[in-house]
Amino acid sequence: MRDSELAISIRALTKFYNNLQALDKIAFEVKRGDFFAFLGPNGAGKTTTINVLTGLSNYQSGEVKVFGYDVTAEYLHSRRLIGLCAQESNFDPFLSIYQLLVYQAEYFGIPPWEAKRRANELLERFGLEEKRNAKHRALSGGMKKRLLLCRALIHDPEILILDEPTSGCDLELKFLIWDYLLQLNKEGKTIFLTTHYMEEAEKLCKTIGIINNGKIVRIGDKKQILQDKSLQDVFLEITGIE
Amino acid sequence: MIHQVTNPIGVMALAKREIHRFFSVANQTIFPPLVSSALFMYIFGIAVGSRVNFSAMGLTYLQFIIPGLMAMHLISSAYENTSSSLFIGRWHNHIQEILLAPLSYIEMVLGLLAGGVARGMLVCLGIWLVSLFFTPGSIIHPLALIYFMLMITVIFSCAGMMGALWAEDFGMLSMWNTYVIIPLALLGGVFHPISLLLPGLQIISHFNPLYYMVSGIRYSMTNVTDTPVATCAIVSLGMAAAVFTATVYLFKIGYKLRT
Ligand SMILES: Nc1ncnc2c1ncn2[C@@H]1O[C@H](COP(=O)(O)OP(=O)(O)OP(=O)(O)O)[C@@H](O)[C@H]1O
Ligand SMILES: [Mg+2]
Repeated sequence: MRDSELAISIRALTKFYNNLQALDKIAFEVKRGDFFAFLGPNGAGKTTTINVLTGLSNYQSGEVKVFGYDVTAEYLHSRRLIGLCAQESNFDPFLSIYQLLVYQAEYFGIPPWEAKRRANELLERFGLEEKRNAKHRALSGGMKKRLLLCRALIHDPEILILDEPTSGCDLELKFLIWDYLLQLNKEGKTIFLTTHYMEEAEKLCKTIGIINNGKIVRIGDKKQILQDKSLQDVFLEITGIE
Repeated sequence: MIHQVTNPIGVMALAKREIHRFFSVANQTIFPPLVSSALFMYIFGIAVGSRVNFSAMGLTYLQFIIPGLMAMHLISSAYENTSSSLFIGRWHNHIQEILLAPLSYIEMVLGLLAGGVARGMLVCLGIWLVSLFFTPGSIIHPLALIYFMLMITVIFSCAGMMGALWAEDFGMLSMWNTYVIIPLALLGGVFHPISLLLPGLQIISHFNPLYYMVSGIRYSMTNVTDTPVATCAIVSLGMAAAVFTATVYLFKIGYKLRT
């Protein structure tokens, strides 16, 4: 890994879907080891930003780096470092959940014996071992969320990008995920989280970025942004929602 | 950087998944072409073939169509494998599992290709084994057979991927196979020597690239050909290189893969 103090660095990133401008010259940085909450209303451009970071979307202009690696020119390096927990589940329908974790590890160059060990460990960690031979269709919504997390973690990424990881989760699972994320962050992993739950962001993160209509409207340290207000009030104020 | 192969474990995993996928539905992927080929051999090769005066090239009609059937199913099995796998991957969006991984674009194509190549070759050799029930036969040029099987499966596995990227629904997906590839293969001499055609049609047949592929397989199996085998080899290699490069390019620009 390149010796970069910045886990993410985005400069003047512009992204269009045909004529629709989803990102308008956005720029921000996330430090290595940070717990970053990326907030914004529906359609603000959060998932689009994540897709650019992970290489799932092309973009028209700007410079996007992950740990110093350009996500276009040096994609083989940047992709190795990222674990993505996507907003919607998208699993191979022909594979059992155990198989799909093993394959995912191997796509990242992890040898089969180690891939199997990690798959078993994660299935156990997230209480899915009973379902190991099931196809993902046979999982409940919360179980799918857990599986998404397992898949994101299978190659031990340096930065974990989570697109609404707790939406639709019950309280117990929410707490399990929160604890796990805090522990990972303590171990030095960078976490990039989008969520619509203000209390979640307020509880977990160190830094907050807010995007609205494809523009970054506020970014900074949590304390500095909140001062004495609640995150919900700050959010409503910044995004102009009454 | 698109021409790097740096992640052999990743490519192997992808290849393994593709092979696993068609094996797990062998009754849809492997056995149907064997059954239909057996019927063709019986009906055309034996029932009809023994009554037609087919002295062309010193083969029986049955011996003539066996390599034709092998070539036709090499082509369609390779195409079907990659086209359905990649299209379903787009449809369910699990193609993202691969797009997120540190696989170079050439590696992604190689991994997906492996399924089409393996399935095509398996079906092709299976048809040959089935043919042994009808007529004794050996493979005269095994190395040439391997060469042509590889070229043909690479060409149509790549074509399958291009078809899967182009298609927007399942109907469009099978259109190329139904309206272009299988007709060109049939016109390329699966069931007839083109010397039986009118002179004008014979000339047109020489512009059909699939003619050279069918001829290459027939030469490998029987040592009989009506066009120089070197031409067949060069046309196949040229096409394989062209479609492979084009497919890697489509992955690089993310055509219908990246939003
Ligand atoms: N594949 C796509 N094709 C066309 N437009 C898209 C596509 N994906 C997103 N958009 C548009 O881009 C804008 C930003 O969408 P994005 O998914 O990034 O929002 P978001 O912040 O993740 O919202 P949410 O909180 O609802 O998930 C929206 O206007 C959306 O309609
Ligand atoms: Mg989103």
